Amino acid sequence: MSPRTNNLLLGAALCAAMVSAHGVGAQEARLLSIRDDATRNRVRIFVEAARLRGTPTEPLVSRALEGIAFKADAKRIEQALAALEKRMRRAKELLAPHATVDELAAAADAIANRVPEKAISDLRRIAPRRTITVEIGVLTELVAKGVKPSVAATMVRDLMAKGATGAQLTELNAAVQQDVALGVTPMEALVLRTRGVMSLLPPAASVNAAQRP
Amino acid sequence: MGLLRGNLSHTLGLHREPVSEFDPTLPIRAKHGDEQAFIRIVEFYYPRCLRFARNMLGSDQDAEEAVQDTFVRVHDSFSRFREDARFDPWLFRILANRCRTTMARNRRHRSLIEYGDIPQTATAEHEIGADWAEEVNVVLDSLPADQREAFLLRHVEDLSYEDISAMTGVRLSALRMRVKRACDTLRARLGERSEDDRQHGGHNG
Amino acid sequence: MIGNMVDTMDDERDEVIARVVGALSPFPQPRSAAVARVLMAVRARRAQPVSRLRRAIWWAEDTAVSAKAAGLLAAASLAIGFVARGTMTQQATFGGAESASIEMQPVASVSSAVPVAMAFELANAKTVSVVGDFNGWDPAANPMQRVGANGPWSTTLLAKPGRHTYAFLVDGTTLVADPRASKAKNPDFGGDASVLMVRTP
Repeated sequence: MSPRTNNLLLGAALCAAMVSAHGVGAQEARLLSIRDDATRNRVRIFVEAARLRGTPTEPLVSRALEGIAFKADAKRIEQALAALEKRMRRAKELLAPHATVDELAAAADAIANRVPEKAISDLRRIAPRRTITVEIGVLTELVAKGVKPSVAATMVRDLMAKGATGAQLTELNAAVQQDVALGVTPMEALVLRTRGVMSLLPPAASVNAAQRP
Repeated sequence: MGLLRGNLSHTLGLHREPVSEFDPTLPIRAKHGDEQAFIRIVEFYYPRCLRFARNMLGSDQDAEEAVQDTFVRVHDSFSRFREDARFDPWLFRILANRCRTTMARNRRHRSLIEYGDIPQTATAEHEIGADWAEEVNVVLDSLPADQREAFLLRHVEDLSYEDISAMTGVRLSALRMRVKRACDTLRARLGERSEDDRQHGGHNG
Repeated sequence: MIGNMVDTMDDERDEVIARVVGALSPFPQPRSAAVARVLMAVRARRAQPVSRLRRAIWWAEDTAVSAKAAGLLAAASLAIGFVARGTMTQQATFGGAESASIEMQPVASVSSAVPVAMAFELANAKTVSVVGDFNGWDPAANPMQRVGANGPWSTTLLAKPGRHTYAFLVDGTTLVADPRASKAKNPDFGGDASVLMVRTP
């Protein structure tokens, strides 16, 4: 075979690999990076069972490899996967009627960080037709950094209802983190920064405006 | 396999930390739309391209702009990249063309530079060896552009004469002559200084 | 054969040429987020591809169209702009382990992944890669590179808008949290990771 044919074949093979990259084959390839046979098998069995239960498996595989990176043993990884699946199933109910895999993963992280469940369903109610991954992420980060969960939930919900965009919320979060680093309490920082963003929003913004992508 | 031939020896530049080797499948993957593969190519070659452009143009700003443009062009022209071709010469051909464009533009605008304007030059930061680097840059700038280009591609970027010839369309004998003339000039103008350094123990190249 | 001999002769570097090459060989430090800038220019052009004719002319004349200019050109006609933000706009003086990330994104793109430039300074590491939920914690996905023996490690990765956790994997074994990013406690495995917030386009 000439080098040229060889390379064309290689190109074709790479294309085929890229097409299937989102499929089961790619996931299996990632599981193969778990060196310990016993751990890999337990993870594989868990992931397959979850697939049959209708749970998105991508976040589970990612969490398993995260466990490997943190040098967790097989038992701990299995516990983490079970906990994540439980949270994702709860997230699916909270985000009903529909949610993307990214939203499910974000909401599961929110639950793990003690964001009130009602806050998550509130966000979905305000924006039923667009992805709210960023909004959930901002809420999670605010709570993780010490803002009282009920206060963070109210602030984010009100901002969204008034038409604040995901970008504005991300910037609000960055500003709060900066203030906290300078010694302001997380609560004070959030109240102050929320007032700042509110002042930028059009006063007559309706719920419709909040649903803008 | 043509694809693999000789790529690695060229891509690891003289002073690059060999922290990673260039994966020769990256250009093919990038050609077929893999954005992450394109990012890896840019990351791998950016420093080397920037070095060539800076040595060629003598200005940090012009060099950065030329390299940024080069990669945009690489992306736009991937459909023309033959999968059995080697990547380095193809990339450097686009980069060298882009540098020539900048030099032509600068020649056109040179008359507009008023007295008192200080053109930004590519002098190294002042440290041990900075004087020598400055002198080298001055002499390099004074070389005709085709000699400078041939010298840099051959001696600094470590490309073979065959590759340079394929890239530039210049015959091998003419290329060798350009490199030889460049070396002669560099020796004639820097040789004395180099000798001084050695005698005074200031060997700081 | 004769060609080879000539090649060998030409390649004989005397001391002067060797020192000249030595002065011209160090790699300059690219400006921050250089790779992300290229990617954004490319994406802006893809959003509004140059017409075949214009591209042909562009190649024939070899006109100087800078990446910045190309990006802004598309930006003007498509209302796409660049947003650069981050904790570092120039190379900081790194002491021990320091890092910063800069993200760039087209304001009008859909929720596709955004290029994020990462830098990390750690002396004496042999390899460093970024692992996080954006790449499924895959150590092979985003290896970092460094310029020179002591330059900062850097890479550009793709992450979707939202909150992500990540860490640096040093020498394939040790996880290090990003010293300049906000910390994330790992509820499942313990230990610290870092938080990357990628904003909505």
